[in-house]
Amino acid sequence: MYQSFIGLEIHIHLAAETKAFCGCKANFGDEENTNVCPVCMGFPGVLPTLNEKAIQMSYVVARALNCKLSPNTKFERKNYFYPDMPKNYQISQFAEPVGRDGYIDIEIGDSIKRVRIHDVHFEEDAGKMIHAGDMSLLDYNRAGYPLLEIVTEPDLVIGEDAEAFLKSFQRLVRYLGVCDGNMEEGSMRCDANVSINPVGVGLGEKVEIKNLNSSRFVRKALNYEIERQSGLMDNGTKIIQETRLWNENRDQTEGMRKKEDANDYRYFPEPDLPPFRPSDEFMKEVEEGICELPLVRKQRLMTSYGLGSDQAEYIHDEKFMADFFEKAVFLGADAVQVYSWLSSDVKKLLNRNSQSLEDSNLSAERLARLISMIEDGQISGKIAKRVLDHIFDEDKDPDVICDEQGLVQISDPAAIAKFVDEVMAANEAVVEAVRGGDQRQMGFLVGQIMKVSGGKAAPAVVQSVLKEKVLG
Amino acid sequence: MEKSDLTVTATLASLVLDEAETQKLGDEVSRMLSYFEKMSEIDVDGLEPTTHALQKENRLRPDRGLSNEAQPDELLECAPDLEDRFILIPNVL
Repeated sequence: MYQSFIGLEIHIHLAAETKAFCGCKANFGDEENTNVCPVCMGFPGVLPTLNEKAIQMSYVVARALNCKLSPNTKFERKNYFYPDMPKNYQISQFAEPVGRDGYIDIEIGDSIKRVRIHDVHFEEDAGKMIHAGDMSLLDYNRAGYPLLEIVTEPDLVIGEDAEAFLKSFQRLVRYLGVCDGNMEEGSMRCDANVSINPVGVGLGEKVEIKNLNSSRFVRKALNYEIERQSGLMDNGTKIIQETRLWNENRDQTEGMRKKEDANDYRYFPEPDLPPFRPSDEFMKEVEEGICELPLVRKQRLMTSYGLGSDQAEYIHDEKFMADFFEKAVFLGADAVQVYSWLSSDVKKLLNRNSQSLEDSNLSAERLARLISMIEDGQISGKIAKRVLDHIFDEDKDPDVICDEQGLVQISDPAAIAKFVDEVMAANEAVVEAVRGGDQRQMGFLVGQIMKVSGGKAAPAVVQSVLKEKVLG
Repeated sequence: MEKSDLTVTATLASLVLDEAETQKLGDEVSRMLSYFEKMSEIDVDGLEPTTHALQKENRLRPDRGLSNEAQPDELLECAPDLEDRFILIPNVL
């Protein structure tokens, strides 16, 4: 039996307006080499200057990950020759990162697992390269983008753990508003380290896997790699330390060309950037940047509102939805009702319109009002769905829609009796059949009455009036 | 200095040295290293390393776009070869 050890290195693009060390726009998808300046193009004699918001977001993430925060964080040059960085070095952190020795609790299946964080450090992203035949094309729009690297300890065991970790982490950075967490677009990227050994021996020879651009690939690649290494160990073949790439078309990891020497980045202090010493005021703002974190929130949704684990999972996935939910409940709506609407009819309409809850015309106030109108018997559940449709399409309050459309439930027995009489007169044979004992036909009559009333009759009143009239 | 150390250092700096250059540079680098050795003898326990002589902390910039005196197009003109707005170089994959 072998034991496996997985550690992750996650890079996130910090959601700043401008680059890490210059005033160029940090924008994706712009025309190539438009967001560039002498600083990020590596021209001689330029002076990088630290982006205050980006370093603050870095401290917020490190704080949320329970790290020890550096009172004196420093920048280093990481030297390498590759044209994705025009300077031939990347400004990064080595000796004194923003944060170290943290942890995060994540939910894997039904249990909570604590994953230790080795460090959180600030750096700049490299440019984008396209390799075409015997030429390479360079776009430096991304060069200098503010980037945060989060390195975990090898506390994860299998691919599923890593996938769960990434999903939790993605939700965390979205809650904190520091990154959109989009792996497909590369604003969140992940490399994974994995090693195996016989149980009890400890960490083995580490293999790094790159090119993992979704959490699903991370799971598949790690499980593939654990199998591959187990096979090698079974055969007594030595596992070598190397970097492998995930090939998503073949569902396998493949060795990269081996480098003869281990990388030596010759880190040295960045002479152009003084250390950063956060002031008390800065640290106060960092504290204010922390919100209730997703797992804590999920647990509170369960204990305070009586939601089940799956229900709380759904509601807490996006901070906006969790806030929306709590506001609607605060306004008096029943928690389970709010959950039901959000997870079914509202979700359907959002999908149909390809909208997020945030961008839709539904507010917590409107949903709470809609639910109270049902509870007060003003409208039926069926009419409420139509009202919801109108809210989405017309951006109006439920009361206004009901007034305009005449969508008010009819529960006056005298008014309903008229519909009943009409339907009974039109369906004499059916009425006779019911009187003769065929109760199944009652449903047909109810349906007809609802139809005649335009869906406005209160079903309970219809039932009782009909019963009385037919069966006496 | 060991010759192998010099070769590794040259490789990391992407320098190609012939035998004569290796010899000459080896002597010079050895002499430089001996200066560093002399500095290493000094007791600096408890002293904060001086990485910056003038400003020692916090030079920040608000997260706002800045217009550059040098326009991106002018910067691109410095590149040896372009394809549309891409900088074109020999393949380095």
